[in-house]
Amino acid sequence: MSAASNLVELLQMPFLQRALLAGLFTGALGGLLGSVAVLRQLSFFSDALGHSALLGITVAILLNLNPTLVLVPFAVLFALGIDRLASRSRLPTDALLNIVYSSSLALAVLALSRVPSYRGGIDQLLFGDILGVSWLDLSLILLLLLAAGSYLVLSRRTQILLTLDEPLAISRGVAAGSHRLLFIVLLAVVVAISIKAVGVLLISAFVVIPACASRLVSRRFSAYGLLAAGLGAGCAVVGLLLSALFNLPSGPAVVLVQLLGFLIALALAPLLR
Amino acid sequence: MAAAILEVDHLTVRREAATVVDDVSFSLQPESDTALVGPNGAGKSSLVQALLGILPRCSGSIRLLGEPLGPRGQLPAAVRDRLAYLPQTLTLRGRIPLSVAEFVALGYERPGLSLPWRGHSGRSGAVRSALARTDSSDLAERLISDLSTGQLKRVLLAFCVVRPRSLLLLDEAQAGLDSQASEQFHSLLYGLRRREGWTILQVSHDLEMVRRSCDMVLCLNRSLRCSGSPDHALSPSQLEHLYGPGFVPYHHHHASQPTPR
Repeated sequence: MSAASNLVELLQMPFLQRALLAGLFTGALGGLLGSVAVLRQLSFFSDALGHSALLGITVAILLNLNPTLVLVPFAVLFALGIDRLASRSRLPTDALLNIVYSSSLALAVLALSRVPSYRGGIDQLLFGDILGVSWLDLSLILLLLLAAGSYLVLSRRTQILLTLDEPLAISRGVAAGSHRLLFIVLLAVVVAISIKAVGVLLISAFVVIPACASRLVSRRFSAYGLLAAGLGAGCAVVGLLLSALFNLPSGPAVVLVQLLGFLIALALAPLLR
Repeated sequence: MAAAILEVDHLTVRREAATVVDDVSFSLQPESDTALVGPNGAGKSSLVQALLGILPRCSGSIRLLGEPLGPRGQLPAAVRDRLAYLPQTLTLRGRIPLSVAEFVALGYERPGLSLPWRGHSGRSGAVRSALARTDSSDLAERLISDLSTGQLKRVLLAFCVVRPRSLLLLDEAQAGLDSQASEQFHSLLYGLRRREGWTILQVSHDLEMVRRSCDMVLCLNRSLRCSGSPDHALSPSQLEHLYGPGFVPYHHHHASQPTPR
């Protein structure tokens, strides 16, 4: 009884309302983009970008700027740079990502250790602060959700063909190079915008876990993308409510709810075959 | 003589630093069935991919159904609609939540931007008919990643047949099939070609099949070594010229030969 009244009371707090909306949008966005990303072997890309983003945040702190303003261009440069490097060097992309993200992380930690005020605040960067999301952050995330959603829905045939087989896609008249790059840049921007809420360590879970859960049980592509977005949004809201009720850190709470969803999908998969 | 379906003029393709297709010219007449043969690494797949704009070309010109292929693979959408490409296989990694019917529908519609609810009825009718014509109706609701090699080839053919095409480019369509499945695939392709009026260019290693059913043979080893009817192009002396000395033309001797058409 006290838990329920506690919840009603909490739900009236503007910061929690913002956090729930941010969770809803970020979760849907991560699930939606993740549905394409996991099929294109881009799971590690979002993980590495998340880790590298700590360097972007550090730069923002040193220059005293809004982190989101620095993170978006940082993420876009990261995506373009990796794409360039992968086609130039002919080394495997996962190895290149590893090189770039470890060195970004190393640079960031070294720089942060010189900023006295941030020695204690690193937890917030690592795990996010969804309760500190502002209305500006929220409207940015919503805009991005609308833009990414309409792009993916309108270009769904192009996305599916590119995911299946690039030569086949080109033979059907798909401008493969630009669409592939556009998707990576979009994924990078989504990761960058969501980092404030989710943190650099757990952001890739938002992209990977709901999409993989949906991949296990979906039998049609349209249902797959929608289910991934729905799972992402639902897990985020449930996780945030749990974190508010039991005073748990919000990012990890959401990720554990996502894991639960994944395990349920794993158990259901053989029944749906 | 009718206008050529495909005209290739002095085509050269490079991959990294190596020239893989060197100064190749040929043309395909409507409803002809042409085989592209040659040793491994002779540039057969590269040639086919360059014809579709998948690989960039270094020099030369390509005309498909009378329209020039742009330097970066640009081609009017109406011409793309009439081409179909059958890759060796699709490299599908893990479970892909895409049904066979959804996949075949991708061959029906142009891949550009569109709203999801447009053109549903025409599309599903075309997909059903394509699956029926390739003996694949029972696969419609299966996942594309759950198919066997033979089933996947039939579904790829359905992807080609789902809309009227003029030119089919096949990159080793028989790869990965055992001799029985290969025979079945080939008779399906042969029947469809007759009914649909397709012009075909196919990369093949099966010289017996080429002798039996193709009208023309292009022998490629980076450059075009010879071309002509199978009897001429696949004569022992031409084969030695193409594959090098020591090549023994192989013959299949099945217990029961399928009846020639």
